[in-house]
Amino acid sequence: MRFVAILLAVLGLPGIAHGQDAPTLPRHHFTVGGGVVWSGGYDIGDATARLRGNGPGATPPDVTLFTAGSRITSAISPELQVGFGATDRLAVEFGLAFTRPHVAVAIAGDPEAPSQELPGERLQQYVIGGGVTWQLPIRLGTRRLAPFVSGGAAFVRQLHEDRTMAETGQIYYAGGGARYWLRGGHGAGRAVGLRGDARVNFRRKGIDFEDKMRIYPTVSLSVFVGF
Amino acid sequence: MRRSIAVTLAVLLTIGSSSPLAYLKLGAMVNGRVIDATWRQVPIGYFISDRPGSGVSAADLRGAAERASATWSRVASANVRFTFQGMTSAAAEGFDGQTTLGFIDRPDLDRVLGATSFLIDTTTGAIVEADIFFNSHFAFSVAANGQPDRVDLESIVLHELGHLLGLGHSAIGETERNASGSRRVIGSGAVMFPIAHSSGAISERVLQADDIAGISDLYPAPAALDTGGIVGRVTKNGAGVTGAHVVAFNPETGILVGNFTLNSQGEFVIARLPPGPYILRVEPLDDADPDSFFPAATDTDFRVAYAPRMVVAPLGGSSPSIEIRVLPK
Repeated sequence: MRFVAILLAVLGLPGIAHGQDAPTLPRHHFTVGGGVVWSGGYDIGDATARLRGNGPGATPPDVTLFTAGSRITSAISPELQVGFGATDRLAVEFGLAFTRPHVAVAIAGDPEAPSQELPGERLQQYVIGGGVTWQLPIRLGTRRLAPFVSGGAAFVRQLHEDRTMAETGQIYYAGGGARYWLRGGHGAGRAVGLRGDARVNFRRKGIDFEDKMRIYPTVSLSVFVGF
Repeated sequence: MRRSIAVTLAVLLTIGSSSPLAYLKLGAMVNGRVIDATWRQVPIGYFISDRPGSGVSAADLRGAAERASATWSRVASANVRFTFQGMTSAAAEGFDGQTTLGFIDRPDLDRVLGATSFLIDTTTGAIVEADIFFNSHFAFSVAANGQPDRVDLESIVLHELGHLLGLGHSAIGETERNASGSRRVIGSGAVMFPIAHSSGAISERVLQADDIAGISDLYPAPAALDTGGIVGRVTKNGAGVTGAHVVAFNPETGILVGNFTLNSQGEFVIARLPPGPYILRVEPLDDADPDSFFPAATDTDFRVAYAPRMVVAPLGGSSPSIEIRVLPK
């Protein structure tokens, strides 16, 4: 995918050239963006259904009835972003994304049933968060492309399929990307461009059967307009 | 004088195979409806028969009964209490107006460790008297750490007191047949499983989640309101399956709680679950004799199956009904 190739070039080859002419965000102006985000899948824990074993003493070895490995699947969702240019390089941003990933469950170790993957339930997942981007003072071959790094935090709300229970958690992320200005970016006229982000996300709480920090990637592509 | 029609039920704990009448909860037919048979006055008073058992005394039985009754009373989500009313020369059988626990030698019941019988007021569903006998044909132990070749008395008392409170048998357990044709427990998920663990085992002195859910459903304390339920149907070729065993497993807490499909539509309810998502597993009743759970015929001609997705037991309510389809063997 061309966009991913651009991102990898941005992240892997910083400092190709120092540029004086790289486009910048409109200082003290808002930017609105919309696009799609792909969220990678990640495990949410293995669990073993155990029976109390029949043996001498108070704590005989357990007997496994079955094991269940659970995973939140990858998903693509719409995303909205609103940014404010604090300086011509630093922007404060707020974002909202809605996703419908599955909770897939893999059953194994059941002496009376074959190993199998259950179709799973479909969640409704909302992510609301804020962060900052810092545009790097480098230029990548073309005057219209400007890389940045990003970081922030978000609140995640996951609603089970029957909509009878919601679980909440936090996401912390760090990453980077690039903006490609189709027009504007030098203080004249309305800025319009494309933006790509790649992030590493660290999720705490939410649906998880081991209460562990989970790490997963997201990649997004959006269009932004400066006002 | 209260007009009542007395009925008796007996529930046995076996070491092999057995028969009688039982449900997850004992029921009584009142005005054409089946309602839970429960004690209406708390604490439940009981006597200990002064007849000794094999290798243990009546005083040992009293101690085991006090420990086991305390175990049931400690369930925070259930309102259960017992009180010891004294020793008695009466046998733990027949109905004489007092609830009695005691040893009786029944060599004819060579697979029965203990049994509970009831007197139920069929106009109200109230249990008015119950007796528990422990079969002196077997060698019991009250040693703190158990004894090889002896059955732990406290574990058996705990199981029979569950019946006395109105619980039937649980089917959460796996067994294997031995050379003599009887069954040996491999593992169990409830003290109320109908077949006892082997001699020397003492782990069954501790209640499991299934026992706690059952007693909390019969005698709910305020804490029992912080629970939820799961409802659904088990079907085979589009028709309901009667007597299927459905186990709910919470992957976060590891608890297992089960119940049965109790009608021809294959409907089931698993109540008093801690709120959260559950994996549902359905199995035929093939790890104990089906008639130790139901008096009616059950369908055991299907393979173990799982619900297609996890189902949430919501706080203070029940899940939407989920259908679990099973295939013939």
